[in-house]
Amino acid sequence: MIEINSMHELLQACRREKSTIGEIMLQMEGNKSGKETSTIFDMMKERLWTMKQSVEKGTKDDSIAPSGISGGDSVKMVDYINRGEALSGHLIGDAMSYSLAVSESNARMDVIVATPTAGAAGILPGILFSIHKNNNIPLNNLVMGLFTASMLGYVIANRSFISGAAGGCQAEVGSATAMAAGTIVELNGGTPEQAVHATAIAMKSLLGLVCDPVAGLVEVPCIKRNVIGTSIAFSAADIALAGIESRIPCDEVIETMYNIGKEMPGNLKETALGGLAMTKTGQEVKQKLFRRWCHNE
Amino acid sequence: MEFNSCFDIIGPIMVGPSSSHTAGVVSIGKFIYDLFEEHPDEAHILFCDSFAETYQGHGTDKAVIGGLMGMGTDDSRIKNAFENAYKAGMKVIINVTKKCDYYDHPNTVIISAKYNYQFVKVGGVSLGGGVSKIFMINEKMVDIPVSGDNNPLKRKDLIMYDRN
Repeated sequence: MIEINSMHELLQACRREKSTIGEIMLQMEGNKSGKETSTIFDMMKERLWTMKQSVEKGTKDDSIAPSGISGGDSVKMVDYINRGEALSGHLIGDAMSYSLAVSESNARMDVIVATPTAGAAGILPGILFSIHKNNNIPLNNLVMGLFTASMLGYVIANRSFISGAAGGCQAEVGSATAMAAGTIVELNGGTPEQAVHATAIAMKSLLGLVCDPVAGLVEVPCIKRNVIGTSIAFSAADIALAGIESRIPCDEVIETMYNIGKEMPGNLKETALGGLAMTKTGQEVKQKLFRRWCHNE
Repeated sequence: MEFNSCFDIIGPIMVGPSSSHTAGVVSIGKFIYDLFEEHPDEAHILFCDSFAETYQGHGTDKAVIGGLMGMGTDDSRIKNAFENAYKAGMKVIINVTKKCDYYDHPNTVIISAKYNYQFVKVGGVSLGGGVSKIFMINEKMVDIPVSGDNNPLKRKDLIMYDRN
């Protein structure tokens, strides 16, 4: 029975079993749940399919969220990328568009897949469907990519946290970006070691990020942080694929994220009492919405 | 370890906008629906801490009501949970408090629900990523995971009967 408690153990398992990170997750899930590999694979495929639908629907939907403070940006981004003018090119450009599409859908209370949370649901579909389109990675490989991502997220979630309320945005967008970075590496033929370095490098870049949603909504600044998360994931993946290592081992980075999250004041952990939520504009939005809620309910 | 499966990380498939403040809470409400095998006649919902601050913006109220109405996390009707509850005749009272007396976590909710002459008081915590558990039933501390497909309970044993 495999149980993975750390990135160190994960890499040992990969070496021992001569497996990828994704394959280790698939094996562990089978061990733990008693389900057939094909059943588990199909369950993950269903999640990928839902993500694909969110991307397709979201990139065409320019409607505004019920709050009135988000929506319409993914259509703008798609137009811009399609004109071929994007400074960051098609690979990162498409990832940003798709990520926007899913995060905007989330704000509209449409169906999405939490990866690992709804607040960070844009990042993985963003990078996955961009490398599907631009690097010709087949959909079945993307399903394996989701096993890679979930293995990395599994270690992070059990050693630290993945929700903004518990650990700030570093735990939420930070974790998703870290998972995405490792997944890109594995899908592009990097070694498990490189994937874990990419995970560490991405997470380090987002340490300390606070969770400060305007009016408590998962919209401002969450949606754009998802978008930026995709480009950090690609950068971290490239750094690792170049053979550059994280000087601080991934497990220690995760532990640091945990320690920072514990020390972070409550105001900056999804309570909408600090950070951008407390700006003049943030407060105005809150008051406007609060008046509306009081009238409706 | 609170996270046991790859589907705790990739998933749930859910309506937005927050896995901890929406999806996880649907499962807590649904726990009560499953106990009664029906939506309650009346539910008192007490949001604590982070839930108290942000429940309207995250649709946490719609989520818990959707769950009480028997909806799952990916049910697109959750958006209109208030209308659904109103039409079904479920009375809902929402209150907020700074801190939960029973459990130390920012995402906690206490629900007292009545159905016919049955009564139950449940404390639930949403741990993030849609993973949640019940930590209190009728003032007794418990530890029952409610997200995912593992609901091993004999529900009837847990309901108290209201003397009124």
